[in-house]
Amino acid sequence: MQQRKIRMLTVVGGLLAGMMLLGASAAQADITGPMLANTCAGCHGTNGISGGPAMPTIAGMPAKYLKSIMADFASGKRPSTIMGRLAKGYSEAEIALIADEFAKQKWQNAKSAPQSKMATAVDAKLAKEGEKATKSAKCDKCHEDNGVFQDDDTPRVAGQWLDYLRFKVQDLKNPELKVPQADKMKAGIDKLSAEQLEAVAHFYASQK
Amino acid sequence: MTNLTRRTFIKLTGGVAAVGLTSFGVPAIAGEAKQKVVVVGGGYGGAVAAKYIRMADPKVQVTLIEKNADYYSCPLSNWVVAGFRDMALQKWNYEGLKKHGVEVVIDEVTGIDPAAKSVATAGGKKFAYDALVVSPGVDFKDFPGYDAEAQKKILHAWKAGPDTVTLAKQLAAMKDGDTYILVAPADPYRCPPGPYERASLVAHYLKKNKPKSKVLILDAKPKFSKQGLFQEGWTQLYGFGSDNSIIKWVSGAEGGKVVRVDAKEMAVYTDNNGFEEKHTGACINFIPPNTAGKIAISAGLTNEGGWCPVHLNTFESKMHKGIYVVGDASASGGMPKSGYAANSQAKVVAAAIVAQLNGKQPGEPSYVNTCYSMLSPDYGISVAAVWKFDPATPDKVKEISSGVSPSKAPDFVRKQEALYNESWYQSIMADTFS
Ligand SMILES: Cc1cc2nc3c(=O)[nH]c(=O)nc-3n(C[C@H](O)[C@H](O)[C@H](O)COP(=O)(O)OP(=O)(O)OC[C@H]3O[C@@H](n4cnc5c(N)ncnc54)[C@H](O)[C@@H]3O)c2cc1C
Repeated sequence: MQQRKIRMLTVVGGLLAGMMLLGASAAQADITGPMLANTCAGCHGTNGISGGPAMPTIAGMPAKYLKSIMADFASGKRPSTIMGRLAKGYSEAEIALIADEFAKQKWQNAKSAPQSKMATAVDAKLAKEGEKATKSAKCDKCHEDNGVFQDDDTPRVAGQWLDYLRFKVQDLKNPELKVPQADKMKAGIDKLSAEQLEAVAHFYASQK
Repeated sequence: MTNLTRRTFIKLTGGVAAVGLTSFGVPAIAGEAKQKVVVVGGGYGGAVAAKYIRMADPKVQVTLIEKNADYYSCPLSNWVVAGFRDMALQKWNYEGLKKHGVEVVIDEVTGIDPAAKSVATAGGKKFAYDALVVSPGVDFKDFPGYDAEAQKKILHAWKAGPDTVTLAKQLAAMKDGDTYILVAPADPYRCPPGPYERASLVAHYLKKNKPKSKVLILDAKPKFSKQGLFQEGWTQLYGFGSDNSIIKWVSGAEGGKVVRVDAKEMAVYTDNNGFEEKHTGACINFIPPNTAGKIAISAGLTNEGGWCPVHLNTFESKMHKGIYVVGDASASGGMPKSGYAANSQAKVVAAAIVAQLNGKQPGEPSYVNTCYSMLSPDYGISVAAVWKFDPATPDKVKEISSGVSPSKAPDFVRKQEALYNESWYQSIMADTFS
C-alpha cells in the first residue's frame, strides 16, 4: 500500500507538471481493466472465452472468486504451471480490475474443438456415471444445478472445457500437489476413485 | 490513503489535460468523415490490432492489407516438421476479421509515405490513413553463400508455409545415420526458444525412426533461451551429454558460429578460432540472421540494427509519428519476438490509437508473454512474464514478474504443459482470427 501511495503521488506530480507545460509531453492516463484483462486473452480467449480444451473459460465468473484464485496462484497456495508466475505480476488493485472485467463478460459453454488433436471427447456413458458420483459425494451441495451455480467460493463447472476439468480432478487426487479446494472438498473427494473423478469431469463438461 | 484514488484523480483532470494537448487529434464529430486506420500485415500482431481497434471503437474504419490470402502459423509448425502435426491445422484466413468489420485487402504494401499519410500497394492502390499499424514480421539478412539457388535446397522454414512441409519431407528422406544440421542465429531473432524446440522435436523423430542419426546445432550464441530446461530434457529424452546423445550443441565460442553456406557441397563452414571448419549434413536447416520485415526497412522505420525503434508506452514509431510498429519487427525493449508478445503489443497499440483518434491520452500499457516449447509430444516447458512501462527507463520495459517451468518437474507437469501448449494455440488463434 505504501508503495502504491508513493507512486500515486509521483504520477500526480508528473501530470501537474505536464499540464503546466501544456502538451510539451503528455502524461499517461491510468491503466484500465480492459488493458489488463486483454493480456490474458492469449490463453483464456477473447473476453475470457477459451478456445482450447485445457484452458478454462473465465468469462462471467464472480469477481470475488477470480480475485481469490489469483491471490492463491500468487502465493503458491494453489498449484499451477504458469499462473503463479503471472499472478505475481499484478498489484491487488490491478487484480481487482482484471477480475471485474471478466466478471462483466458473458459465460459461453465450451464448444467442441475439432482442431485440437489432444482434446478428450466428452463420453456420454462416463458422464452418466459421473452424475451418480456427484450425488454420492455430495458435490451438488456447492456445485448446485449440475454445476451451473456459481458464487464467490464456487466456480461454474457446467459446460467448462473437459480437459481443464480433468486436470483439476487429477490434481485433487495427486499426492504430489496440495490443492486448496481439497480442504473443503476432501470428504467428497476421498469417497471417489480416480476413475469416478474422471467421470465427474465428463459429467460437468456435458452440462450446459 | 485518501479517498481520491489515482483513477478518479486522472478522470477529473483528464478533461483538462485533453484540452491543452491538441497534438493528440480532435475527437471525431458526428457526420464527419470516418477516422481511418490501415494495418500492414495480418499475422499475430496486425490481425489482433485490427480486431481490437474495431472492438474498442466501431466508429473507426480499419483496413488490413495482407499479402497472402492464407496465414500459416509458425507456432506449432515445428510439430509439422517433426511429422506429428498436419499442416492444415496451421492454416488460417481473414473471414473472422471481416465479421468485426475489418476491411481485408489481399495485396502487398510496397510503399509507405509518412508525410502524405498513405500506403501504396503492388496492386496499384493507395490507402490514406489517420493512423498506421505496421506488423510485417521478419525478413532475413544476406548471408555468404545463401543465395536464391541455395535457398531452394537449404531451408530456414522460419516463416511457416510450404517450406515447413518441404523441411518435414527432407527430414523424412534422411537415411539412418545421416546428420540434421540446424544453424541457430545470433540475437535478436524471431522466437528465441524456437531453434531448440525444433532440434528437440527433430531428435524425437530421429529417435523413433532413424536411431543412428544425430542433430547438430551450430550456434552463433554462447547461450540460449530456457537452456537449463532444454538441456535437462535432452538428457532425459535424448541422452544429452553422453557419447551417443542424439543432440549435439556447439556454442559460438566453441566453433559453432557459421560464416558461410555451400549448398553444392551441402555444407556449412564455421569459424573455429580463426580456422574454417566444414560441417556436412544430409539435411541442413539454416536460420539466417533476422531483420524487421522489408517494408519496415524501406519505409525508414528501422535503426542500424534492422529493427524498428518505438516508444514503449504506445509502440508508436520513434522515426515517424502516426505509425505504430508491433510484433517481431519492433525493437520491443526486452520482450521476446514471440506471437504472444506481438498479440499483447497489438492490444496496447489498439488502445493507444483509439485514444489518439478520440483526442484522449493513451492509457498505461500492460504486457504479457507466455511461450511454450515442446521437447517431445508429451513434454512441454514454458516461460511467462509480465511487463510495464516505466518512464524512468523508457528504453526497456520493466519486468514485474517472470519465470520458467521448474527444473526436475514430475512427468505429469511436462505432459500438462504439452496440452496447455496446444490449448494456448487454439485460444490465441481464435483471439487473432475469430
Ligand atoms: C518455428 C517457430 C515457432 C514459433 N513458436 C512460437 C510459439 O510457440 N509461441 C509464440 O508466441 N511465438 C512463436 N513463434 C514466433 C511467432 O511466430 C512470431 O513472433 C509472430 O508471428 C510475430 O507476429 P508478427 O505479426 O510480427 O509477424 P507475422 O505473424 O509473421 O505476420 C506478418 C504478416 O505480415 C505480412 N506482410 C509482410 N510484409 C507485408 C507487406 N509488405 N504487405 C502486406 N503484408 C505483409 C506477412 O505475409 C505476414 O502474414 C514461433 C516462430 C517460429 C519461426
